Amino acid sequence: MLTCTGCSLLCEDIEAIIEDNKIKGTKNACRRGAARIKGCANRLVPSIDQKPSDVESSIKKAAELLRNAKSPMIFGFDNSSCEAQVQGIQFAQKIHAVIDDTSSFCQGLLMEIILQKKLKTCSLDDIRNKADVLVYWGSDAQDSHPRHLSRFSYFPRGESRQRGYEEDRLAIAIDVRESNTAKICKKHFYRINPKGDREFILALMEALSGKAPVNDAKNMLELAGVLKKAQFGAIFVGIGLMYSIKNDFEILTKLANMLPKFSIMPMVGHYNMRGLNEALFKETGYVNRVKFDEKGVQDNKYALIEALKNKSIDALVVVGSDPVLSLPRSVLSHLSSIPVICIDPCQTFTSKISSVNIPCAATGVESAGSAVRMDGKVITLKKIIENNYRSDEDVIKQLMGAI
Amino acid sequence: MGIDIGKFLKNPEFDILITTYRDIFQVEALETDRFGEEYKKLSAVITMSKNDLKKMEFKSGDHVKLSNTYGSVIVEVKESKKNEPGGVAFMVNSPWSNCLISDETEGKGIPEFKHIKAKISLSKEQITQITEIIFHK
Amino acid sequence: MLTVIEIYQLLPKTNCKICGDSTCMAFAVSLLGRRKKLVECTPILEENFKKQKEKLDSLLLPSAGASETGMIVHPELCTGCGNCVVACPVDVANDPHGAGMGCAPTNDRVIFKVVEGKVIASNVQECRRFGKNKVLCYACIDPCPTGAIEFA
Repeated sequence: MLTCTGCSLLCEDIEAIIEDNKIKGTKNACRRGAARIKGCANRLVPSIDQKPSDVESSIKKAAELLRNAKSPMIFGFDNSSCEAQVQGIQFAQKIHAVIDDTSSFCQGLLMEIILQKKLKTCSLDDIRNKADVLVYWGSDAQDSHPRHLSRFSYFPRGESRQRGYEEDRLAIAIDVRESNTAKICKKHFYRINPKGDREFILALMEALSGKAPVNDAKNMLELAGVLKKAQFGAIFVGIGLMYSIKNDFEILTKLANMLPKFSIMPMVGHYNMRGLNEALFKETGYVNRVKFDEKGVQDNKYALIEALKNKSIDALVVVGSDPVLSLPRSVLSHLSSIPVICIDPCQTFTSKISSVNIPCAATGVESAGSAVRMDGKVITLKKIIENNYRSDEDVIKQLMGAI
Repeated sequence: MGIDIGKFLKNPEFDILITTYRDIFQVEALETDRFGEEYKKLSAVITMSKNDLKKMEFKSGDHVKLSNTYGSVIVEVKESKKNEPGGVAFMVNSPWSNCLISDETEGKGIPEFKHIKAKISLSKEQITQITEIIFHK
Repeated sequence: MLTVIEIYQLLPKTNCKICGDSTCMAFAVSLLGRRKKLVECTPILEENFKKQKEKLDSLLLPSAGASETGMIVHPELCTGCGNCVVACPVDVANDPHGAGMGCAPTNDRVIFKVVEGKVIASNVQECRRFGKNKVLCYACIDPCPTGAIEFA
């Protein structure tokens, strides 16, 4: 058995078929997870200025570049173990760096509110055992977290949900497109316009307080009725909703206050994004966008995108992330004028433009550790393949030692 | 940039609203080989409703140029298999869709990935290669 | 009905003879007659034939039981989400503390399992659509948004 690192569900029931110390096949992992566990076609090779090197020289070169940097940033760790994340935070503290991760432009700030206990949340096991009304909002779990509905929310039998999904549970999708998740929800799919989430929330709040909203009153009152009848509800917040309401959580909090039976769960993307959010929160009180001087301080200007736009960083360490893939091309130009150090098991678009590349083990297959599931449960990651790749935790330790 | 009027007349431009989404088959290709043909094939695509395609006189498989203030990119157009009412086109989140995303964030660190305004027109050019995107050519 | 030509069209058509047959057409005949297995054609296991292989897997899948119930699985459409594994009433009855609770199946009596990220069906004689008291059950089709399972 191994734990899948394909998404933040961290499925622990995966069987791997190993031949010649390589993964040949998987059982129980979804299509996404199976591809993840098998690994990438192009492993990262150590390099300096895109010329082949060895790990020791690459680490030495990276240390030199970082010694010369006045305002470095460390970005990533969403695809790293908790142990590597702790090292990463210590590293940022040591070199007075900014630390940020993908959650900065995903669900990070919602997670911050959850960790501050300003929104009610629950565990995925609670959902399996008790939930009767499930709302997928701006989230296509079927494609992003493929086993979410089958392992936890809609389809499984749970302690007080013994009769099967047709009788015991109701799934609702609110989305701009008829996603695979929306298809499963059938007539409980509510289509909204792009950026229409705020309007939808306002209308829903009207309906919940018994007033008939101006638009689509019949559907809204029907939805409000279903939500009010819930014994144990959950709203799964996808990046569709996050990108639509941006940093304005007040409106979400207001809605949540009108739905006391509901828990809020961010559909965290990368497998250990919540791990980094929690570790940084514990250390500084903030989940991302932190600069370490004397102590950790959060500011929007420490978000990777703002730092690139303002050209306020002069070196970037990327760990297990691919900003060249995920960021708008319109903000990337600064990357070509600063040294980029890439630590990853695989070649990425970012590694193609970086000054130094340092390969590491694929965590959960080639190195062990732990990770935090989207609901906060700590899950063990196992090492099932023995080879010479160092864990990213070890690479960071060495890099720290070399500075 | 000069305007070639003849070309413009033959290739009418349309305003289009694009939103991005995630697709498991594309993510599978990403995990396996982000430099491979499969990832490109599943990423460099814009999906539109049957009605919108008809209105703009595109056929599934045509190459189209998408452009706005922030960049431009050549992708393949496809008819949505789903029952879409139209008015919104869809692109899976990838370096190709990221060519069109605004750098405007109001200082909040979150770009507008889900509400992209662009022009669309028929193109005879090849699909944009990933290397052109990465190396800013 | 599956034909030799349908199978042939999806093979590499290189007549490389690795499978032991002299041509790809001959191999297609062997496949249709179930005298050979697709894996004996090693070239098709290569990455650039992935789509064709998946299609062939699905064409060649229906075993004796599957054709009896009419169940056809299209692995190329399957996302491996496991909704069918968990929703199938036979799987729930035969593995209440595994598949029934959303976990990986804990025994071999279930109908659906996910292997290599895609669903495979076995024990189809247990399917509610099979045998004397058969019923028109949709429990595996209903939760599948991609149409990866159908009944002919």
